[in-house]
Amino acid sequence: MLISLNSIKKYVQIPAELSTEKLIELIGSRLVEIEEVIELAPKYKGVYIVKVVSAEKIPDTHLSLCQIDAGTHTAEFAEAGAETVQVVCGAPNVHAGMLAVWITPGSIVPSTYGNENFRLGKRKLQGYESNGMLAGADELGFDNEHKTIAEIDPKIAQPGDSLADVFDLNDTIIDVENKSLTHRPDCFGLIGFAREVAGILGQPFPEIEWPALKLADDLAMKVTITDSAICPRYSCAIFDLPDNQPEKYLTPTAVFLSKAGMRSIDPMVDLTNVMMLETGQPLHAFDYDKLVAVGQSGQNSQQNGAKDTPEIIVRLAQPGETIQLLDGKTIECIPEDILITSNSIPVALAGAMGGKNTEIDASTKRVVLESATFSLYNLRKTQMAHGIFSEAITRFTKGQPAAMTFPVLSETVARLGVSPLAVVDAYPDKPRKTVVKITTLEINQLLGTTYDQGTIIKTLENVNFTVSATGDTLEVTAPAWRTDIHIKEDIIEEVGRLLGYDNIPLALPEKPFAGTEVAPMLRLKSELRSILSDRLAMHEVLTYSFVSKALLEKSGQDPADHYEIVNSISPELQNFRSQIVPSLLDKIRENIKSGHRDFSLYELNQVSSKANGLSAEETPVLNNHLGIVCLGDFYKLKTYILTMLRRGLKVELEYSQLVAGSKAAETYPYLEPAHSAVLLLNGETIGAFGEIKAAVARRFKLETIVSACELDLDKIVDLPRRIDTDLKLSRFPSVERDLTLKVSADAQFGRVHTLLDQVLASENLIFETLPVSIYQSSPDSPTKNFSFHLKFSSPDKTLDQSDITKIMDKITVEVAALGAEIV
Amino acid sequence: MSEIEKLKLELKNLNAEYVKIKTLPPEERGTFGREMNAKKQKILNAIAKAEENAESENISPIDISAPCAPNEPIFRPALGSRHPLMTELDRVISIYSDMGFNVMESNQLDDEFHMFDSLNFPKEHPARDGYDTFRTSENFIPPAHTSTMQHRALKKCKKDLENGGQIAVVIPGRVFRNEDADATHEHTFYQCEGVFVSKDATMGQMFGVLKQFFENYYGQKLNIKTQPGYFPFTEPSAELLIERPSSLGGEGWLEMLGCGMIHPNVLKMAGIDPDKYHGFAWGGGIDRLVMLKYQLGDIRYFESGKLDFLEEF
Repeated sequence: MLISLNSIKKYVQIPAELSTEKLIELIGSRLVEIEEVIELAPKYKGVYIVKVVSAEKIPDTHLSLCQIDAGTHTAEFAEAGAETVQVVCGAPNVHAGMLAVWITPGSIVPSTYGNENFRLGKRKLQGYESNGMLAGADELGFDNEHKTIAEIDPKIAQPGDSLADVFDLNDTIIDVENKSLTHRPDCFGLIGFAREVAGILGQPFPEIEWPALKLADDLAMKVTITDSAICPRYSCAIFDLPDNQPEKYLTPTAVFLSKAGMRSIDPMVDLTNVMMLETGQPLHAFDYDKLVAVGQSGQNSQQNGAKDTPEIIVRLAQPGETIQLLDGKTIECIPEDILITSNSIPVALAGAMGGKNTEIDASTKRVVLESATFSLYNLRKTQMAHGIFSEAITRFTKGQPAAMTFPVLSETVARLGVSPLAVVDAYPDKPRKTVVKITTLEINQLLGTTYDQGTIIKTLENVNFTVSATGDTLEVTAPAWRTDIHIKEDIIEEVGRLLGYDNIPLALPEKPFAGTEVAPMLRLKSELRSILSDRLAMHEVLTYSFVSKALLEKSGQDPADHYEIVNSISPELQNFRSQIVPSLLDKIRENIKSGHRDFSLYELNQVSSKANGLSAEETPVLNNHLGIVCLGDFYKLKTYILTMLRRGLKVELEYSQLVAGSKAAETYPYLEPAHSAVLLLNGETIGAFGEIKAAVARRFKLETIVSACELDLDKIVDLPRRIDTDLKLSRFPSVERDLTLKVSADAQFGRVHTLLDQVLASENLIFETLPVSIYQSSPDSPTKNFSFHLKFSSPDKTLDQSDITKIMDKITVEVAALGAEIV
Repeated sequence: MSEIEKLKLELKNLNAEYVKIKTLPPEERGTFGREMNAKKQKILNAIAKAEENAESENISPIDISAPCAPNEPIFRPALGSRHPLMTELDRVISIYSDMGFNVMESNQLDDEFHMFDSLNFPKEHPARDGYDTFRTSENFIPPAHTSTMQHRALKKCKKDLENGGQIAVVIPGRVFRNEDADATHEHTFYQCEGVFVSKDATMGQMFGVLKQFFENYYGQKLNIKTQPGYFPFTEPSAELLIERPSSLGGEGWLEMLGCGMIHPNVLKMAGIDPDKYHGFAWGGGIDRLVMLKYQLGDIRYFESGKLDFLEEF
């Protein structure tokens, strides 16, 4: 919302010593977030009111050659000796004697200010020299359409005056963030905004004296509200429309409206818009005769029986009901839409837009002026359903106070200077005044301040609250327009805010001396980062929790198992993922393409699937997963996984072959079972790792061998860590032997390795059995060789040759049982 | 004659002088012997040094600008990286934890009750629009703010209050907003929520705690200021700004988070008596901290999985 500071100054005396900058800072810290500050003066620099002394048509063109008198500025731009400045103008309405607006050479066209900054110069048009230009309202930023050049009322200006001086454009506009005023409908009007500024400056804001229109019934008009919940109050006045021809001159009203981003239409509409900007209360004018006619037509068609009295009925829309709006579009109503009807025939979509059937036009003689308020909840639905984002509905969806409809209507009628033929005020349930009892102690206790009672009372009274004090207790009555005040905290907010949160002395809570607890899962994730990134040189990535159906299908997962986002931004982000690996697979190709060769990616994040079911509080059960992808085969990834578990986390998990067709193979459908293992905890599968299936790799366009691991961290977060503190170090020299075993081609390395460990352990030795190589001369060779490097020592003595021979013999015998022979 | 030859000659001459010892009275021989030995040692040291220098002179210098010696493989150490968001999140957690806050993690799928109802959003209230929430077909909500955890945190820690203690929790997590991504907007981002409840919590304490946090985080004294905000779950509500720290250029103000005194209805919903206890809560983005710290121009890098980006951290 755009707020003109000059407009605020009409209501509030700003102390001379307070700079505009400081004022804006105070508003920003005590009322509303300010998004932008716009200075108007530079925008209108070099723009003057001038008199067109002569305007002669240039033959065979639409152009006129004009001589202008720019008062004191003439000399600066005129040719030596000339008393006027020459400008070529293409507007049809340019004529000798008129006052026009001149943008001087070297100045920026105001409508382009801040964007393309189009700077005018001296140039030739059809061979005639033209200095700057005579501007239309659009070029000055007051209108959207280019019609004619702006003509100025000679009563308000003379040649040489700067446009900014005449039209109050030495102004500062602040663009405020509407969201931070969602609960303050009163601040969507300049008066309400100014009241807060007064409060911030510690000044009492004089209560506005609203005229009170007398109810009248010279003309019959009935208003019926079917449900006060959808329309708490509906006030209207009927009167004969005074002359409503659009003004010939550029009016101060048009300029005032432009400061709020609005445009001048005709005097009636302009007045309703000015009233809305000042008070926050939107108004709407219907053509009375059309409204009555529409109502009668309905009577005939619906055969409701004759009704003598025209009746405005405010009601909810019925299923399938349609209405053609002022913009020409016909909409189909939603059940929450509120309709203004004439004898039940829709004439306006309440709060949003009038109907075409009751539009004011050149033939309109009599109007019904509506000042009403509606349920903000319904209007919000209306706004969303029909995409209407007008200044009026913006205000209505904050919940305009019912107390203000009639005063604003009265003021509008007074400004029009008309005598209404009918005035109706339907106000079924008048709300009671809100009174909050609170103590100064309570206020200070929550804020952490020591404000005295007098300061607090004055602060509240400045913004028109009524306060009566009994001892420490205050009885605070909110003004009628403050629909947001209900509880003590609302009063505390007023006091704290108006006196400045920044003036609250800072303190720290006293805390009992106690340790803190970080959720174990967060600790585990931190620890994994240090293992995987800092020690194993992997890269941590974050990818979206939302994935596409295509990604799920590419990795072999069933989209039906996944929560689906019904209002997703794009099909790419439609499902909540149940595993991390598919998202990581999607990140490999691009990184390879940008030159990375040997890398591993991992991510730690929450996942869920429908199969997880719901928690006790009936929300989806979430799992914390670790996903890893690495460029390399099963064995490379296995080394990473085992190092992470054993060396890093100090936990021991079992692993076994992933069996094709098993449940685990379905859970990890992207893994090639023949080249993969499941991770087991007490027999339960809690993860898997292995190589990606060829078909999956093709779908992800991966040309190298890629391995992946998915692990459920919730299963290991509480596992005891085993740190081997029983370090066996021998004082005696150790023996080292290389050992190569010839085994059949299908022999399992793990079994042979375990056997070696068992033999050495049974001899009560301190030992290490390090795998060195696996050699197979050709893929179809019936045998292969396993080589180990053995290192062993006795805790008690130096091993001699006979001891060593005994040990090696035992190994020979034991491995022979597995069909292996020492080479 | 080379330096070494000179020294060797000197040594030879010195050795020749040793014979003098026989001509000296016995009581002077000790002193003479020690002096001679010291001189000899000095010459020997000088010879060793000269020989060492001569050896170095024979070694030709290598090309220190090259990555390796000719015909040798280039050594490339394997380096991993942590995601910058997670690095900062860990840091944020550790500061709050040191200040005495417990830490729990936010849920990535939640419901209308936790996201809105338990936070005093009136049904159908337009304030709900401000959050642009996603929904699943079951009407679950990938939460749009970590405040979705407030009710749980309050309920979980209620017993601490009743035992005479306080509630002090921070809750980091991933949140989601239905808005199109551009350089400064992401539909997926991280926030950290804070909740504090005690018998005598004040707004002054809230600002004090937050100032303390940012001073720890940026490692310097900072000025703070506020602007009014509106959140249905806090009253009064404010937005906190900090003066741009010197490490970030030091000019102007930065909007860091939304905060306020917990609305009595929110306490009531969690079974906490708002007449006995007061609290404050806040929530702010983590992405913004990281973007500021590293002067990043595009928020979309975070979830891009691009190694070219991640390797910078």
